[in-house]
Amino acid sequence: MKSFFRMSYPYILWIGIFIVAPMVMILLYAVTRATGDSTLAFQFTLDNFGKFFSDPTFMRVLLTSLRIALMTTVFCLLIGYPAALFIANLPERSQTMMVLLLTLPMWINMLLKTYAWRGILMNFDFSSEIRVFIGMVYDFLPYMIIQIHSAISKMDGNLLIAAHDLGANKWKTFMKVTLPLSVPGIISGITLVFLPAVSSFVIPKLLGGGDYVLIGNLIEIYFLTAGDWNFGSAISLIMALVIIASMWATKKLDRNGEEE
Amino acid sequence: MRKLIEFRNIVKNFDGQIVLKGVNLNIYENEFVTLLGPSGCGKTTLLRILGGFLEQDEGTVIFDGQCIDNVPAYKREINTVFQRYALFPHLNVYENIAFGLRIKKLGNDIISQKVNRMLSLVNLEGYEKRNVTKLSGGQQQRVAIARALVNEPNVLLLDEPLGALDLKLRKEMQRELKRIQQEVGITFIFVTHDQEEALTMSDKIVVMNAGAIEQIGTPLEIYNEPANAYVARFIGESNIMDGVMLADYKVRFDDKTFECTDFGFKSNEPVDVLIRPEDIDLVKPREGVMRGEVKSVLFKGVHYELMVETKTGTSKTVKMHVVTQHDIDNREAGEKISANDFYVDSDDLENKEMTDQDFISIANAQAWDDENRDLSLTHVSHNIEKTPGVYSITFGTEKKTEVTVKVYVVHPEYVEDPRHNIGISALDFFITPDEIQESMAISTDLKTWASAEAWNLQDDSTVDITDVKFDFDPSDIKEGSYDITFSTRGRVYKVETTDHHEAGDKVGLLFGPDDIHVMHKEEGAV
Amino acid sequence: MTEASKKKNQQKPFFQRFTSWYLVLILLFIYLPIGYVVLFSFNESKSLSNFTGFSLRWYENMFQDRTMLQSIWYTVIVAVISTVISTVVGTITAIGLSKSKRVVRNLVLEVNNLPVMNPDIVTAIGLMLLFISGKVQLSLTTLILSHISFCIPYVILTIMPKLRQLDDNVAEAALDLGATPWQALLKVIIPQIYPAILSGALIAFSMSFDDFVISFFTAGVGINNISMYVYSMKRYNPSVNAMSTLIVVVVTLILVAVNVIPRIKDKKTNKEDY
Repeated sequence: MKSFFRMSYPYILWIGIFIVAPMVMILLYAVTRATGDSTLAFQFTLDNFGKFFSDPTFMRVLLTSLRIALMTTVFCLLIGYPAALFIANLPERSQTMMVLLLTLPMWINMLLKTYAWRGILMNFDFSSEIRVFIGMVYDFLPYMIIQIHSAISKMDGNLLIAAHDLGANKWKTFMKVTLPLSVPGIISGITLVFLPAVSSFVIPKLLGGGDYVLIGNLIEIYFLTAGDWNFGSAISLIMALVIIASMWATKKLDRNGEEE
Repeated sequence: MRKLIEFRNIVKNFDGQIVLKGVNLNIYENEFVTLLGPSGCGKTTLLRILGGFLEQDEGTVIFDGQCIDNVPAYKREINTVFQRYALFPHLNVYENIAFGLRIKKLGNDIISQKVNRMLSLVNLEGYEKRNVTKLSGGQQQRVAIARALVNEPNVLLLDEPLGALDLKLRKEMQRELKRIQQEVGITFIFVTHDQEEALTMSDKIVVMNAGAIEQIGTPLEIYNEPANAYVARFIGESNIMDGVMLADYKVRFDDKTFECTDFGFKSNEPVDVLIRPEDIDLVKPREGVMRGEVKSVLFKGVHYELMVETKTGTSKTVKMHVVTQHDIDNREAGEKISANDFYVDSDDLENKEMTDQDFISIANAQAWDDENRDLSLTHVSHNIEKTPGVYSITFGTEKKTEVTVKVYVVHPEYVEDPRHNIGISALDFFITPDEIQESMAISTDLKTWASAEAWNLQDDSTVDITDVKFDFDPSDIKEGSYDITFSTRGRVYKVETTDHHEAGDKVGLLFGPDDIHVMHKEEGAV
Repeated sequence: MTEASKKKNQQKPFFQRFTSWYLVLILLFIYLPIGYVVLFSFNESKSLSNFTGFSLRWYENMFQDRTMLQSIWYTVIVAVISTVISTVVGTITAIGLSKSKRVVRNLVLEVNNLPVMNPDIVTAIGLMLLFISGKVQLSLTTLILSHISFCIPYVILTIMPKLRQLDDNVAEAALDLGATPWQALLKVIIPQIYPAILSGALIAFSMSFDDFVISFFTAGVGINNISMYVYSMKRYNPSVNAMSTLIVVVVTLILVAVNVIPRIKDKKTNKEDY
């Protein structure tokens, strides 16, 4: 039994090639510039980053991405938390049914769903940003609800009884017991919404029309249309850094509020 | 009888902690052996080393004449019944039991024969197709036993298998296991921390402590002649006293010399003396070899368990002065104030920094307004000095509502008892009838009011004041002076009797030379 | 679930009704596009705003559209192959990791998390750069390799917790009864983690089936999966609604099967337990 640890070796080799190497490649491309036709002709530079930060258009794209991701996350949280709470209070069978109903759309191809919204929204006259916003909320809301619901339903029911026993009414019990204990769920919900929202490019492209550009779209453009892989990689790296920064921030909140 | 298993000098470390300190043990054919000890003593570790799930750091294990150190678990002819049964959840009862036989690739008809025989041995006929996760604890237990035994091992290891069962079921299973062991005729090695279980089932008990063996013997030997205080305390109830072995058959403890049946000690060797509670008879005070007072009585069903104090502890008596204070009423400011006179130990003034707050609490000084809200006492002035005498202290509020009381600084008055190494001190105090009536735990409050303390004279550690004697009714108390006596616990014997007694009864303790068992003070080596 | 909520009406009718309506609204929102797609897949005309009549023309259209059918074929084939390989490799690796030293295990799990935590597009670009710099032409093979890369982590993440929950003693019991380590693995460990393996496989399948970004960047020319096909459509094609409806039906059937079959199995074994 002890020798079984060797079973993980093949995969360790795999991740070296298919997970670590690609990240290294992005890093390399981001800090170099092609100087010739062959891939081996390059020169180290930080110009790619400079180009990004000096151009106001790019900064605007970055800020728009952050803005809409934030709006989506906040909205999903405000709408999703009560939903999760109400579901958690349902009798068990109804709860399972609700969770099933919520997860079913998650298995349906994202492009098909977004495309359907495109059809629906063609009948209305909303701005690009609103349409992208609706598309994002639609896509990510179930994740938020499921995460929060998971945290709330794992809570020991006895805690609520204890709170009532000590004199807390329903509102106080919620504020002092349920809410604090649901924080881990809130944190995972935020993680599962904000990060994909920031890096999303399908939804802006399909629902926003050609003019609505987020960071994800930018990366696509520079890689496929413009063929400037170095700059494209630099943008990817910047986005990855933004994401790592926000994950670090949420992890800090996690440690402060959590009781795992 | 043939020697089946030999542990030679087994040493095992876990993360730097020594769990087995060089254990030597022989186990013979057909024995029911129990490894007995508290959690962490190494008994389970030893068992797992025998089973092949752990490797020892030093030493060898010999099985049937052969060294099995390098033989993996699945090749050893030993089977185990695990603490939480470890049944295969995805197989039914029949397949669980048949598992080992299928591995050996026996034919289906042979398997069927053996499994069915096992099912009837453990009284689970008809349960073949049942889902094991839905069985009760006792049933799962029996499946685990059947699963192990069906392979006809020479030795069965049982790792605290009865721990998860309730009391009645456990006792039943103890009898079952003993019956099965005798019927099948193989060696059982049983691990438990429950001494009663060990006494009931074993042919031989191995008492372990912190990685070493304290004593090996039959249940009778271990119970009647424990090698040392550890074994004596682990098995059965005991009274253990410090004593001196004057000569063969003569031992001295509790200031008396007694005849006993033990010998072979050095002259005047310090020893531990054991007397079992059930061996002490309760007689009239004059007829006993010791006299004492019953302190507590516990009904245990089979008998009463009494604690009898033969020697009182160290005590100190003080006076409680009950006075009615009149509140001082400051009508202009709409405030009232009150405080009690109090005593202070001059040593405390000397050694501790006594603040105004301390005085406020000792005097129980309080001030309140007409709406009964508490007011703070912002002005405290006094002329207290460290030498004994009578002084005064004044407490006042912002609005100058004031009260003045007397402070009696007294010489420290301890009682020091060199024989028991205990010091105890307490002070006289003043108190109002209201405070006594409002007290929720009078004994505790009396200790606080009198600043009663007891300590060990050698190392200054705190000793409990277990006894507070007073002669008044807290709910109906009048002004006057009352005696309060504080005492520590003295020498107490645990006695088992079927006679009815009450706390406060004066009794005599009677026991004979046979009832006294003298043990060496150092750890008994095997 | 609305009936269950209504039963609580005895105590606080207003609040109960509010919560039921709230949840109903949420469900309506979630199913709006799905309902729309199913409805309009049967629409007679091309219109997206008017339902003019019932017709199966878009279904017929779909079955005649070679590109669309081809995209479905590629999606399924890639998903099946990726799932099988990821599940096998993922299971073996998870078991290996559970027996590894903590340092190794944590390191591997951290790296394993990268594809899960990283935005799709970063993973996609990394893989594309890897292939191209290695002078490997993008093809069906690179597509499958990429899918396997991001599926295995999910399989491992699903199986590890169940492995941790296993009672160590059960595997020891197998050894105690004479099974070799391999026999113990096959006869005792795997049967116990079977639900997690299935779950992992299902998640891997849906991740692969649903994928767009990574496929977009790593597939060869001419190889499209469903998502890529929909993305690249120049004009709006109502046949997509037909395809979507079929997928909805299949997904629903699978989910119902996955949830109902275990319950039927339970009832059968309960009967045997008299």
